[in-house]
Amino acid sequence: MTGDNSCKSIIKNALLNKNPIFVSGMVIAPVIVLANNLNDAITLVTAFSLLTFFTLLVSSFIPKSIVYTIRIIIYTLIGALVYVPLAILLRYLMPEGVEALGIFFPLFITSSFIISRSESIFFRESKGKMLLDIVFCIIGYDAAVLLFAVIREILATGTAGGNIIGMPIVFSAFEKPFGGFILLGFIAALFRSILLLIKKIRNTNT
Amino acid sequence: MELLKNIMITAFIAVFAENTIFSRALGTSTLIIVARNRKNLAGFGFSVTYITAVISVLTYFADKALNANETGYIYTPLVYIAILGAVYVITLLCLWRFAPVIFGRMKKYIHISAFNCAVLGSMFLISKYCVTLADYFIHGLGIGLGFVLAVYLTAIVYDRIYSEKAPYAFRGYPLMLIYIGILSMAFWGLSGHTLNY
Repeated sequence: MTGDNSCKSIIKNALLNKNPIFVSGMVIAPVIVLANNLNDAITLVTAFSLLTFFTLLVSSFIPKSIVYTIRIIIYTLIGALVYVPLAILLRYLMPEGVEALGIFFPLFITSSFIISRSESIFFRESKGKMLLDIVFCIIGYDAAVLLFAVIREILATGTAGGNIIGMPIVFSAFEKPFGGFILLGFIAALFRSILLLIKKIRNTNT
Repeated sequence: MELLKNIMITAFIAVFAENTIFSRALGTSTLIIVARNRKNLAGFGFSVTYITAVISVLTYFADKALNANETGYIYTPLVYIAILGAVYVITLLCLWRFAPVIFGRMKKYIHISAFNCAVLGSMFLISKYCVTLADYFIHGLGIGLGFVLAVYLTAIVYDRIYSEKAPYAFRGYPLMLIYIGILSMAFWGLSGHTLNY
């Protein structure tokens, strides 16, 4: 029962309460700069998900007996090693998308996600819970990026997935990094309000 | 005179016009963490600037070797991480051996000042835009100073952003993003962009 509850809370935290993008502010640089439309966002989340999952999976075997100074270098070196086959694979599968990622693809190696998740969960949780946490945090990140990219694309260009949807007015400034910061700030505030509203409704019902 | 002019222009571009945070959002997550504690700001700023300056010189030599190889770009992150790791360990060892007091103060945040997107991103940026060793060094130093400027500009409003006077939905992280966005817009204007009417 306790196990179920904690699994439920891991999933709830990863997707909602501690969503990496809308609540915790992790790995937001590529989102601010690149997540301008759905197509770019799909490439972004593919690269992020694969690199982060395999890096964290391999990093989980690093023993705690190694001092933190060395551990942090090992995590990033694992990330850099995972990057090599992944970059070759993605360049083959989606060459234009990877080109558009530019320097942000290798920068996932030192993302706050890898550094913080590798330290915060591996030494406290079982392998099963750790895997669950990684998978749902990545899903939470991906869902938030895709949602953000769709909203940004609609507002900035009046299209959704490249299809014109006939917006009466577009705000092209949202395509710029400053527009990304401001829009993400407003969406994060809206997300918090929705979470609060859900909490209030639940409390009223109980 | 020409050299001094070039140095000034490179430094200006790195600190203001192409500020890592405000133009490319590099290291935003780190900035949000570091801005919480104003006490560590000077130490953090010094260590970031020191690391970006030192690694920029080493990046120059690494790029020479990598550019000579056709598939070098695939291994670039691995080489850069190795450089970063070496600088990080050597710096910590030197501080521990020769300046234990400074080591005690800096060990809390030197890892976050070395392993973040702004620092690794600075290696990719200087590699893309710089040619000579002097360019690499000045740009690396400028990127470090630009990051410190961004952290400072964020830290000074931190208390207000997290104040209870701010509406709950916006308090903290959302307001921080909007604030950085407004600063980013100002820096974007500084680099000479015009609006299309």
